Amino acid sequence: MPILSLHSISLTIQNHTILQDVSFEVEEGEVIGLIGPNGSGKTTLFNVLSGFLQPTQGSITYKEQDITGFIPSRRAQMGIGRVFQHFGIFREMTLEENVLVALEAMPGEQRKSLGDLREVVKATLAMATLTDHAKEKAGSLSGGQMRLLEISRTLKSGNDLFLLDEPTAGVSPKMTHQVAGAIEALKKEGKTVLIIEHDLPFISKICDRVVVLDVGQVVLTGAPDNVRQSKELQEVYFGADPTT
Amino acid sequence: MVQLFINGLIAGSLGALVAGGLALVYGVLGVFNLALGQMALIGGYSTWWLHQSLHLPLSISILGGLLVGALLAWLTFEIFVNPFYRRHRFLPLVTTIALSMILDGAILLLFQERPRSIVPGLKKMVQMGDARISMEQVGLILITFVLLASFAYVLHSTAFGRKIRAVVQHEHAAWSLGIPAHILHRLIFILSGVLAACGGIFLGIDQNLTPIFAFPLTIKAYAAIIAGGKGNFWGAILCAYLIAFLEQFVVGIHWFGLFYVPAGYQQSVALVFIIFFLLFKPSGLFVRSARAA
Repeated sequence: MPILSLHSISLTIQNHTILQDVSFEVEEGEVIGLIGPNGSGKTTLFNVLSGFLQPTQGSITYKEQDITGFIPSRRAQMGIGRVFQHFGIFREMTLEENVLVALEAMPGEQRKSLGDLREVVKATLAMATLTDHAKEKAGSLSGGQMRLLEISRTLKSGNDLFLLDEPTAGVSPKMTHQVAGAIEALKKEGKTVLIIEHDLPFISKICDRVVVLDVGQVVLTGAPDNVRQSKELQEVYFGADPTT
Repeated sequence: MVQLFINGLIAGSLGALVAGGLALVYGVLGVFNLALGQMALIGGYSTWWLHQSLHLPLSISILGGLLVGALLAWLTFEIFVNPFYRRHRFLPLVTTIALSMILDGAILLLFQERPRSIVPGLKKMVQMGDARISMEQVGLILITFVLLASFAYVLHSTAFGRKIRAVVQHEHAAWSLGIPAHILHRLIFILSGVLAACGGIFLGIDQNLTPIFAFPLTIKAYAAIIAGGKGNFWGAILCAYLIAFLEQFVVGIHWFGLFYVPAGYQQSVALVFIIFFLLFKPSGLFVRSARAA
């Protein structure tokens, strides 16, 4: 049984079709790469999955429950975590507070099962190799450190499905390696991950499957290596070859 | 000089309560509530009515005034703000101006133009060197400090406060962590109404309530949050005190031993503040990388 199913999702805003009949399923523990040119609707699809946008047609099933009309906080409490393209951290709060507020927002029973939240905060910052910065404002971190903080915080918030929007954007090559390590750790824990990414070698390395979006439609799905070598992907990114 | 300082402290305490509410609402929702001055007065008038007309004890009347402030803020949010603020952030500016006109009419109809004092009669004054201060004013200053200190504690040391700051700093990230931002929006708006009602009650205890006070209250609060950095709660509080001190000193000082600025110009300090900051420092004095509670 898939953990997430998208059934014919369409979204039209002011007569402009942004998503059109998007359907695919995600199995538990799968890591899926969502790729496509700029403006193909990838981040919009994440906004629909997170509940920030309501589809004009279609439905979303998560853990066998129709969540189409659910507000974002309810989806988050059901275990859908999001890492934002432009850093979803609270810049004027310390790193400790950034993690603590996420733990405090968890549903009651789940939060209680964690025990002492201050200890969980310490463990989370240690996992992100940010212990030395615990008392600093999150806004003072580098892009890569912010990304690690966000991913680690989302991981410790008890989520089962992770929506990662360009996790390597604005991150140095060295830190990209660490971000990849954090995603690998999610995979090892059996978490389900959807990643929007432009870095195809990165996607090939960590994803089980790739979904290609173009002008709001799914045009291709398959194993990363097959998709990379496919003619359709070349057409999506570079246009159809006029000689063929 | 000491008297001017004390007067500034009293006026600043009143301004800080209204400005703090306005700053919170701007920080969380990104909108200005231009009916906050009228909401403050209605809190004060309700307390006056409960105490002077129904002869309820002062403490019960104050609680009643705060309750009216909360109820009015909630209704304002549901009718004049919530249906509009996500469509365009300037829409609530228009709807709350409309509300301010409605409330102006309601105040005139219900409480008339004549001054109303919650605690009428001569105040017991305390001599402090050359300066004099009433016991009510001492209470007003102390209660404001206690309220602000309590609020600082809630905002920075409790889970609820952290959630508010999270919503202020990155609303989408807060939603994605499971924080129900829509509920916090309501609570913040209601809290701003209660703070404003507090200001109105203090005004009614310290001086008299008259309908013409509403607009200057809003303008001073607006000036404080522009100067403090839009949405910066503590910046707005500090600037509310700063404006109040300037108002007192501008008209209270014998400039160069030659002239006094006429008292009628006191209210213009806030307007000069708005113009100055919008022209030369639109980000405000205390703003950092983002809106920050």
